[in-house]
Amino acid sequence: MKFLADAPPSKINRAYRYMRLEWNSEFAVLAARIAVRPIQCYSLAAMAELHQVFSDISANPGLVKHFVMASDVRSVFNFGGDLSLFVLLVRARDLDSLKLYARRCVDLVWWLENAAQIGVYTTALVQGDTLGGGLESALLHHNVIFERGAQAGFPEVLFNLFPGMGAWHLAIRKAGMVVATDMILSGQIYTAEQLQRRGLVDLVVEDGEGEIALEKLVRSVSPRLRGTLAALQARRVAAPITYESLQTVVDLWAATALTLTDRDLRLMERLARAQVRKVGGGAEGAVEEIKRMELDTAWDFEKTGVSEWSSF
Amino acid sequence: MIPFFIDLVTRTDEARRAFEMNPKVLDIVANGLSVERYRKLLLELYHVVWHFNPICAAAASRIPDSHKHIRYFLYDHMKEEAGHEEWVLNDLDAMGVDRPYAVSCHPTLLVLALNGYNYWSADRRHPCSVLGMIYALEVIASVYGGPITSAIRESLFLETDRGISFISSHATLDAEHMVDLRVVMNQINDDDARDAIIEATAFNFHQFTRILEAI
Repeated sequence: MKFLADAPPSKINRAYRYMRLEWNSEFAVLAARIAVRPIQCYSLAAMAELHQVFSDISANPGLVKHFVMASDVRSVFNFGGDLSLFVLLVRARDLDSLKLYARRCVDLVWWLENAAQIGVYTTALVQGDTLGGGLESALLHHNVIFERGAQAGFPEVLFNLFPGMGAWHLAIRKAGMVVATDMILSGQIYTAEQLQRRGLVDLVVEDGEGEIALEKLVRSVSPRLRGTLAALQARRVAAPITYESLQTVVDLWAATALTLTDRDLRLMERLARAQVRKVGGGAEGAVEEIKRMELDTAWDFEKTGVSEWSSF
Repeated sequence: MIPFFIDLVTRTDEARRAFEMNPKVLDIVANGLSVERYRKLLLELYHVVWHFNPICAAAASRIPDSHKHIRYFLYDHMKEEAGHEEWVLNDLDAMGVDRPYAVSCHPTLLVLALNGYNYWSADRRHPCSVLGMIYALEVIASVYGGPITSAIRESLFLETDRGISFISSHATLDAEHMVDLRVVMNQINDDDARDAIIEATAFNFHQFTRILEAI
């Protein structure tokens, strides 16, 4: 029988446009499966829905003991920020709106960062590729499960930006400064196993076995949930992340976004277009395009719009 | 009161994303267009572009002094956009559609409805609504124009901007216009004008999506 097969309690069960809620009543597990099309990302509307889910959990203490973030889009967990919105705001030189978007992200980051305090254990179930803000959102969870085929990275540096919604804080906390610096400054894409070796992923399972792994995890954590949550609160004291420091970084991120050039924006558009092609049935998407960009950059073959490789 | 541009971006984000996620639009971004469909798109665009300045002029003539900064913005904007329907005709010519034939073609009902709404809204709804038309069209050009240009260039094996000068140049030009538009929008403080702009933005995104769908 499917682990997350029950109807969510009415107090938290709403009709969402960009996510589907799943529930396991035995262990009080709420899973949010996000589906934003054409490109799975944190659009403003999707973030508003996620914010509503978090508000409902907070408003009903004890109802949800486990929160799981997952995707309803095949082969993709989340590609992070809404690239089209970024392009729009950067072209409009709209610092205020960039900060507003970033602060909405930080509010979600902050809820997940404080989840243990309200008695919720969080898990990211990553069953497909995840980039930038998508990876940031996965790393926020107490436990990060990757299926083996999933790949992830912070490609922002390739278009002269950096991941600004907690990547530094979380990567340093989980893997240390050297790994965080290498990941963020290289823009490289990593396999699930490489991420696990770096301490960013807690568990790697075979493709299609993510939900089984989730069930095992929930069953193992539940008997010691109170102690686990208390320990995780203590971890926050030992390795604190403050709301103010997250805000400072997003403000820097927004200011940096305004310095993006046409070339940088075209690279963003290239990524978005690659993913659109994949959604339309193409063989390669944003992850493959990033790998191509890495090669182009390394070999100094960068062109505007079409790479040396894709033109063959 | 929050700056209006943020409010506009936020409240019309779903309309923008509905354009972006439309399957026909996705297909154009991914695979470009055949020459026949591209000609059809240009023939439709010709009528949208032809009416752009007259709609701005109709709005400007109705804008009271309480919003005169918008009227002056429209004067400057019209100067920038003047003659751009000629660019569309040049592209049509490059695609094998001669000028007399192009100007004799009637727009589809979808384009008539788009232009009709924009005239009506400037006349009867609120003259500031014209900024919603400008915003939607500039977002389409500056955010999606680049990828659509690349896709059409690839699908038609074009090596230069000949034949795609209108779309290609607006992807760049309208990026510059977006800055001016944000500045002027942020000076609008009354709710009637704001609501009319938001409605016009949503309608223009909606109707432009229908136009691309029918290509």
